[in-house]
Amino acid sequence: MAVTFHIPGSLRSLAGGRSEVELDDPAGTLSDALQALWVVCPAIRDRVMTEQGQVREHINIFVGKEHIRYTGGLATPILPGAEISILPAISGG
Amino acid sequence: MIGELLGHYRVVSKIGEGGMGIVYRARDEVLERDVALKVVGKSAALEQSSRQNLLNEARSASALSHPNICTIHEVGEFDGELYMVMELVEGKSLRALIGGGLAAESVMRYGVQIAGALAHAHGRNIVHHDLKSGNIIVTPQGLVKILDFGLATRVPELAAEQTTSSAPLQGAGPIGGTLPYMAPEVLRGQPGDYRSDLWGLGVVLYESASGRLPFAGRTALEVSSAILHEVPPPLPDRIPPGLAAIIQRCLAKEAAQRYQQAGEVQAALEAVQSASVGTRVQPREQRGPLTTVLRGIRHLRVKDGDVLLLVGTVKGAFLLRSSRDRRRWDVAGPYFHGQAIYSMAYDGRDGRHRLWASTHSYWGTYLRSSDDFGKVWTNPQEANLKFPPETGAVLKNIWQICLGRPEEPQALYCGVEPAALFESRDAGETWSLVRGLFDHPHRPRWTPGNGGLTLHTIALDPANQARIYVGISAGGVYKTEDGGRSWRAANRGIRVVYQPDRYPEFGQCVHKFAMQPARPDRFFLQSHWGLYRSDEGAESWTDVANGVPSDFGFAIVAHPHNPDGAYVLPVESDEFRCAPDGRLRVYRTRNAGASWEPLMRGLPQKGAYETVLRDAMTADGLDPHGLYFGTRSGQLYGSADEGKTWTRILEGLPAVVCVRSVLIGEPCAGRSPKAARAPRVRSSGARPARPSVGKSKRRRRR
Repeated sequence: MAVTFHIPGSLRSLAGGRSEVELDDPAGTLSDALQALWVVCPAIRDRVMTEQGQVREHINIFVGKEHIRYTGGLATPILPGAEISILPAISGG
Repeated sequence: MIGELLGHYRVVSKIGEGGMGIVYRARDEVLERDVALKVVGKSAALEQSSRQNLLNEARSASALSHPNICTIHEVGEFDGELYMVMELVEGKSLRALIGGGLAAESVMRYGVQIAGALAHAHGRNIVHHDLKSGNIIVTPQGLVKILDFGLATRVPELAAEQTTSSAPLQGAGPIGGTLPYMAPEVLRGQPGDYRSDLWGLGVVLYESASGRLPFAGRTALEVSSAILHEVPPPLPDRIPPGLAAIIQRCLAKEAAQRYQQAGEVQAALEAVQSASVGTRVQPREQRGPLTTVLRGIRHLRVKDGDVLLLVGTVKGAFLLRSSRDRRRWDVAGPYFHGQAIYSMAYDGRDGRHRLWASTHSYWGTYLRSSDDFGKVWTNPQEANLKFPPETGAVLKNIWQICLGRPEEPQALYCGVEPAALFESRDAGETWSLVRGLFDHPHRPRWTPGNGGLTLHTIALDPANQARIYVGISAGGVYKTEDGGRSWRAANRGIRVVYQPDRYPEFGQCVHKFAMQPARPDRFFLQSHWGLYRSDEGAESWTDVANGVPSDFGFAIVAHPHNPDGAYVLPVESDEFRCAPDGRLRVYRTRNAGASWEPLMRGLPQKGAYETVLRDAMTADGLDPHGLYFGTRSGQLYGSADEGKTWTRILEGLPAVVCVRSVLIGEPCAGRSPKAARAPRVRSSGARPARPSVGKSKRRRRR
């Protein structure tokens, strides 16, 4: 069962205009799933991750409705059918 | 103690008592004012070293001057007793006001002030370490005052005592009971840093919003466990999601997941405040995968002989075009809608017509270029500038784009935050970190200024390809004479006001410096308090603040032709970073700083509390040269006669952070045959670009 990434509006142009990207078999952790996403949409990687491999400060990732901060960060387990949302935080001026 | 004289302070009455000692109301009999006098209890039985530490740190904290921080007037010892004399703040503690929870508007209003105070202190390397609602006072006018800055953890014995206190955790004594405010990393025994204060701020905001502490328990052990492992209960429904999200981020268990600077919390709270009154602007993205074609923007039609202004703001870039009379301006933009543009440049070397801009948003920081004056911009697949993995550093922003010398037309430099220099040898295709500077032994002791730890100024010696100067806030001026392999501090004579050694080797908060194009060993420099000139390649600096209303400011620009000329835009003070007395004036020297005179015709002279940031003023290379600046309130002013008269070119922009001017071609180029009309461009960036193509038929100098 596929895993679905929800792509925020500001990054859709880097994902071929898609608001959702489905990946067939990214079983494992969120880190694995993201690696699979970067293969399909390479330009999204640096928008979401720093050069040190951490999620950018003002970017939030949710697996289902849970922020990954509370579910193990990049090691969060990804189950088949999971929905992963990438969203900018409510911050800044 | 009541009625006794401690030094020249007459003790009047007791205000409160806590682990750190007793606080009295006292009368300063010399200055005839009421003060708060804190006497560290003898029971504290401080070791001599701790006593000295406390003294040093309190003295350091006494340098803080911020409207939301209780000022420490004096620290000393009298008859073996340690005492601190502080501003007497009338009001109620936030803890006493909270009750069942404050209105969201009040939480935000107080939160903005607390975060602003923390940003001020953190920028001076002072961490509170014991932020809690009990040591935040709210005056009857609604002004927040934070007490006990820089004092809490300077006394490890007392901090430990408070941590393990068995006293009731709520409603405890006046100063006890800090455990519920302690960050997880502090509980784990790690030294707290700025981010521990941001945790404390999160606890205070949560408590203010809900009327209860986020992490509760019957014993210290239960509270500690909750802090380390539990998620706080949801906030009341009346708290807007935006505010809840800010509090939640402050309370991230891992410090790296929190806001990294108090200024960010302040900005976030202000944004939620704005949103709550219905002024939020929805961002609109227009980027493409590799390039961005900007539709819906009226682009400039640029021709040889034009003057361009590149204007970077916190929410996008604007391009302006005029003929050389510089009277009417066509405006295009905003480019990079919603993104902060801290640096722009124009590269006309090697036959190019290339604009550069750095864009900064949630999604990172990128260098973008356009070869057709903004119609199409590159949109790099990967971030162009990256810190190598072993540095552990993350690029926060690009503060300066600097062209290499005309004889090295593929060279580009970027100054970035955190403070570092990147260089490209292939016209911006690839970039590398200049390790000689990044690995400098001084680096661990550079401290961030209000804008972060930034390398914001780059100047290349046109005559010596191995010599480069950079400006770092707050590290000071650094200079290399071997092409970047080794660097040394070049701050002799630059005073600091925020540490005991007034003339340290490095650590100066240099706001901006400008190399004189006509005499490249001469510099003018605007420091965090202080206006200087060097005539010997930054080897030493002379104070030239002769006749300016304030020697605080940001922007400084060298006269493009006259080596004795320069311009500054003073602001009143560190605390009040606005034009003195609400009068917007550029100050000019024509005698190398021996005197400065105001230029004001056409500039508002009443109620103009404007701020002009470090890169927001520039000169063009014409004769007479033009001068331009943009303000934090979004106004753009220009002068075509070297500052004698001014006009407002634009208003209503987002806060302006960068202004650069560019001359396209020669004044008579329109009459030249096309084939011979290779672009000749002078840019007024960190250094003026020299003509790289063709020869100047005449070079007018004053």
